[in-house]
Amino acid sequence: MIRFHPLGLILTLVAFTGSPAFAADKVDFAHEIVPVLRKHCGKCHSGAKKQGGFSFNTRNTLLKGGESGPAVVPSKSGDSKLLERITSTDPDLQMPPEEARVPVEDIARIREWIDAGLPWEDGFAFEKNNYEPPLRPRRPELPPVRQGRDNPIDRLIDARSGRGQAPLATTTDAAFLRRATLDLTGLLPTPARLAEFLKDKRPDRRAKLIDELLANDVAYADHWLTFWNDLLRNDYTGTGFITGGRKQITTWLHRSLVENKPYDQMVRELISPTAESEGFIQGIRWRGEVSASQTNEVQFSQSISQALLGINMKCASCHDSFIDRWKLSEAFGLAAIYASEPLAIYRCDKATGETAKASWLFPELGQIDPQAPQSERLKQLAALMTHPENGRLSRTIVNRLWERMLGMGIVHPVDAMNTEPRYSDLLDFLAVDFADHKYDLKHTLRLIANSKTYQQRVETQRRDDSQPAPEFGPQPRRLTAEQFVDAVWQITSAGPAKPDAAVTRGGAKSAGDKSVVGPLQAKWIWSKAEASAGAPAGESITARTVFELPAAPTRAAAVITCDNDYVLFVNGTKVAADGNWESLESVSLTEFLRKGTNRIEILATNGGAGPNPAGLMFEARILVPEREPVIVATGESWNWTASKLDGNGRFAKEPTDWKPVAAVSNPGVWAGRFGEEAATALAIALDPNRPMVRASLVKSDYLQRTLGRPNRDQIVTSRPTQFTTLEALELANGDALKSYVEAGAKNLAARFAGRPDELIDWLFLFATSEPPSQPKRVREFLGPSPDEQAIEDLLWTVFMLNEFQYVR
Amino acid sequence: MDSPVNENLARREFVKQLTAATAAAWAAGAPRLLSADDASAIDHPRPTADSCIVLWMAGGMAAPETFDPKPYHPFEIGLPVEKVMSTFRSIDTAVDNIKISEGLEEIGQVLDRGTLIRSHVLPDLGSILHSRHQYHWHTGYVPPQTVAAPHIGAWMSRVLGPRNPVIPAFINIGQRLEGVGENEEIKAFTQAGFFGSDHGPMNLPFPEEAARAVKPPRGMDPGRFARREKLLKEVARRGEFSDFRQESLARSLENAHRLLSSKDREAFDISLEPKESFDKYNTGRFGQGCLLARRLVEAGARYVEVTTEYIPFVHWDTHANGHETVDRLHKEIDRPIATLIRDLEARGLLDRTLVVLASEFSRDMIIEGVPGSTAKDQATAPTDVLKELKHYGMHRHFTGASCVLMFGGGIRKGLLYGETAPERPCIAIKNPISVRDMHATIYRAMGINPATGFDVERRPFYATEDGKGKPVQELFA
Repeated sequence: MIRFHPLGLILTLVAFTGSPAFAADKVDFAHEIVPVLRKHCGKCHSGAKKQGGFSFNTRNTLLKGGESGPAVVPSKSGDSKLLERITSTDPDLQMPPEEARVPVEDIARIREWIDAGLPWEDGFAFEKNNYEPPLRPRRPELPPVRQGRDNPIDRLIDARSGRGQAPLATTTDAAFLRRATLDLTGLLPTPARLAEFLKDKRPDRRAKLIDELLANDVAYADHWLTFWNDLLRNDYTGTGFITGGRKQITTWLHRSLVENKPYDQMVRELISPTAESEGFIQGIRWRGEVSASQTNEVQFSQSISQALLGINMKCASCHDSFIDRWKLSEAFGLAAIYASEPLAIYRCDKATGETAKASWLFPELGQIDPQAPQSERLKQLAALMTHPENGRLSRTIVNRLWERMLGMGIVHPVDAMNTEPRYSDLLDFLAVDFADHKYDLKHTLRLIANSKTYQQRVETQRRDDSQPAPEFGPQPRRLTAEQFVDAVWQITSAGPAKPDAAVTRGGAKSAGDKSVVGPLQAKWIWSKAEASAGAPAGESITARTVFELPAAPTRAAAVITCDNDYVLFVNGTKVAADGNWESLESVSLTEFLRKGTNRIEILATNGGAGPNPAGLMFEARILVPEREPVIVATGESWNWTASKLDGNGRFAKEPTDWKPVAAVSNPGVWAGRFGEEAATALAIALDPNRPMVRASLVKSDYLQRTLGRPNRDQIVTSRPTQFTTLEALELANGDALKSYVEAGAKNLAARFAGRPDELIDWLFLFATSEPPSQPKRVREFLGPSPDEQAIEDLLWTVFMLNEFQYVR
Repeated sequence: MDSPVNENLARREFVKQLTAATAAAWAAGAPRLLSADDASAIDHPRPTADSCIVLWMAGGMAAPETFDPKPYHPFEIGLPVEKVMSTFRSIDTAVDNIKISEGLEEIGQVLDRGTLIRSHVLPDLGSILHSRHQYHWHTGYVPPQTVAAPHIGAWMSRVLGPRNPVIPAFINIGQRLEGVGENEEIKAFTQAGFFGSDHGPMNLPFPEEAARAVKPPRGMDPGRFARREKLLKEVARRGEFSDFRQESLARSLENAHRLLSSKDREAFDISLEPKESFDKYNTGRFGQGCLLARRLVEAGARYVEVTTEYIPFVHWDTHANGHETVDRLHKEIDRPIATLIRDLEARGLLDRTLVVLASEFSRDMIIEGVPGSTAKDQATAPTDVLKELKHYGMHRHFTGASCVLMFGGGIRKGLLYGETAPERPCIAIKNPISVRDMHATIYRAMGINPATGFDVERRPFYATEDGKGKPVQELFA
């Protein structure tokens, strides 16, 4: 049999052509030189490996030499460092540095080879050349439309599919709604939105949905903030803040996203910053001395290379990179743009004696003036980076967006843009299209989301590595830590009241519009006016008011609190309950009220062991179309009875002892505590745009960290794709999820009291956009009147489902 | 003795899971082992230890007050500070040529089971920030780094995997990560870095509450917990989720459930320890942590760290009142550490368990950093003469030499290694060991090649800096 030999093909060629390179008969390059170089030197100096900047991968690179000058002088073995190094016994000079010495007879062959003028086989390289990505934009011609699939992405993909891969089926409307909502806003679609979308039969309903999602500025910004925080290593807490060595860019970043600032402008503001955006280029300063490759200047070089260009400048910050073409001088040249003083170049932490000259990576597009002051140099860099001919900036960002939306970059991994793209035409098209549309991030997201490629069913990979990676269709993606927590908060309403991030979300609206509320009118009531001084412990009253609404409300909300305990029923449905006299709750009433007669009943119970103050306060604003808001507030017009409502909001028999309630004589016992808070809470509860506080806006906690939210000391652009035992442990018994589930069960038990089937439908549709797969089993589990524990268990179970945990 | 763990089985299972994990990790651009996709392709040394316990003296344990005593001077007002080298007397130990500080009698009696190193040399990093030195010691890399460097425990988890599949491979005992000073900096190294959270620590700040970490949630009885699991199994759409990524959720939940309902979880419950034994350890949180570490190693833990806890200016971080504070710390660590060594020995586990006691640096009464350092003095105690008792102690951070104890796991017995100068500055004058070589030694014992590297962002990242750590061969029996 024929043994494989790397030079087999070449030798065959030689035999036929009698290449002049082999004219020097006494040196057999292929058999005597290549194996020796490969064995003793190849590990560090061939292919992509360039230790000391030296590679003999091709004859040209061999002749070029490395950091310490030319390695060989053709025909002069005595002047050739290569020979000196392989024969040396000086531990600081000898090559190879640690392994066995090169045998004497092999050294003799090398000497003969050098003296023979370095005969080389034409075109031979020890390893195929590394891919070098193009710099300038390229505008590929779009293939013809097939089968009406006219989205440019589909035209490109279809042209490729012609080679054997048939497109997958389009996903269902329900799955598409969930996927697009999660991808563009990070949230689950509500069951109401799902029902509406499924009713929509317009052919352009998906495009309309995408527009609607992207138009939701705040939700879009809150969601994409996670991506940008990871990319720009921005966080609200972390290393460096302790000694003032780090600055956030949160306010600037979030606002840029809300405004959909063009990406080139964002880049300019990051590189040549204002006080608000300077945190990115400043990096992180630790107390004490740091390695020369981690000064803030070199961090600048690394961060802009990685985040904006997908270039790894980390190797070259210490020495000429072994893995790609970047050199120490280039890493420091970039750093010198930012340096406010002359920047000494260090090689592996030792000063080289040289001073870095401010310069950037692609002089083809222009260069930095090293004499200009720092602020000017940064402006020049900002201009060069966003130069229309810098295709690498646009390719890098569109590739990142593609990866977020589909699960795998066209270039993968996304930070290694020196990797050959899986489909250059697609990448290049997206990049020029992005630039054509004024670097509009939402444009590219819209284009991707509207493609049939994105709207396909997910590709499942049944096995790990035995099957080729899926090509360009969407892959199932885990919810990010932030998406997971947001989704849990959406369902349980257990999220925090305030964000940690200093962001403005929709201006005054998000704080609630108090003018809609006006002054509060509720009085503190009980059965007797003296109750503020003391009422019997355990005394229960049911307070009631009945009122008419001219139409179903557009929005309605209430605030309520009671000393000590209340259960609120609206038209016989339990809406809220609480036993803490020091807390005030705000509740939405919109879905519980109707046109015509409405009934509000509150079962209020005093606590304590002996007589103690008792009081109840409730106030609602009900917005009805084209009318003044209807105010329903506790006061003397309400009636009370000593009969108690049961858990389903019913009296055993209709009471006959209704009497008017009394306003308590000394409401000051509580009023001070709730005055301002009540008005604000009501205003916020009524705000139609009231955005939920999102996980991306709060400091990372153990749950989020466990689920993969990175510690943003470094730029980290990928999140874990698989679950781990520690995560599962935290999900199974961690305190955070447990508290959300408990709060959620309490809310839902009140809201769906007596209607377990509705609860089941609502929960599964919200969490997964699908009805339960085993409705019967779930109904059995809950029983006809589930308690909070059963609901907790169901919530937890739903949160553990793949249908919930994945974007599919 | 009966090995509680079938090592081969555990490893096979781990590797099997790892293969799927590796492929997925690759898809995300996560690190790949440099030589190949299979951990076994790297030439690892034959391990002399299967488990590792690191006893971390957080805050800078003063060598002259513990394991490298120097001439002692009792406190007196007006005494020139330069005369005070130690504030404790020296005592004899079970090893003829080794004296250590008074207050550590019990450890002194087990020193014949291990090696005392007096020449661990930490680099001068300028102005001292404890958490930076701790980051360096725990990852082998000086922060900041361009990628998140994994903790030494994460390396063991990644390369060796768990010994017992239900016991997490990397367990960290005694350090709160919230609510203490420099907590963000501590978090920066108490993690698996680029290996991903699978290899990160199970953090158990309070040993008494460790049992709760592996129990069903508070307020949930086992019956209800089981019903929950059952419901999940019934409701999950199994057949439609054959994707290997999505299967990881079910697999992880099963693992978690296995731990939460297995007998092994009793290892986490120190209240199950017989009272007599419990009392021997119970000098406080650190002592309880030593007990927990022993129980976990018995159950098959791979890497356990127990810390005295780092809180700025507290415990070993003696900026004032050094003598009194160290007197208390002696009491907290002496008996539990000696008991841990004796218990491991009695159970036949010491031979295969490497126990390492270390700290981020030492302390001195006068010198901050090392002579010639640019480190800024952070103590207020005078450096001329003693005026008050609170000035009596090692109040400055000294990086010139620190002590390390190593027991078991193939380490020589009764060895004294390295030496410091008899006079100030007490820098290492013989056989200095760097952090890199210390890690190489620990990895060597655990059977990890110090040159094990992973491809991270297309560049190599090694278990020891540049893959160049050299184990100190003289330390091995």
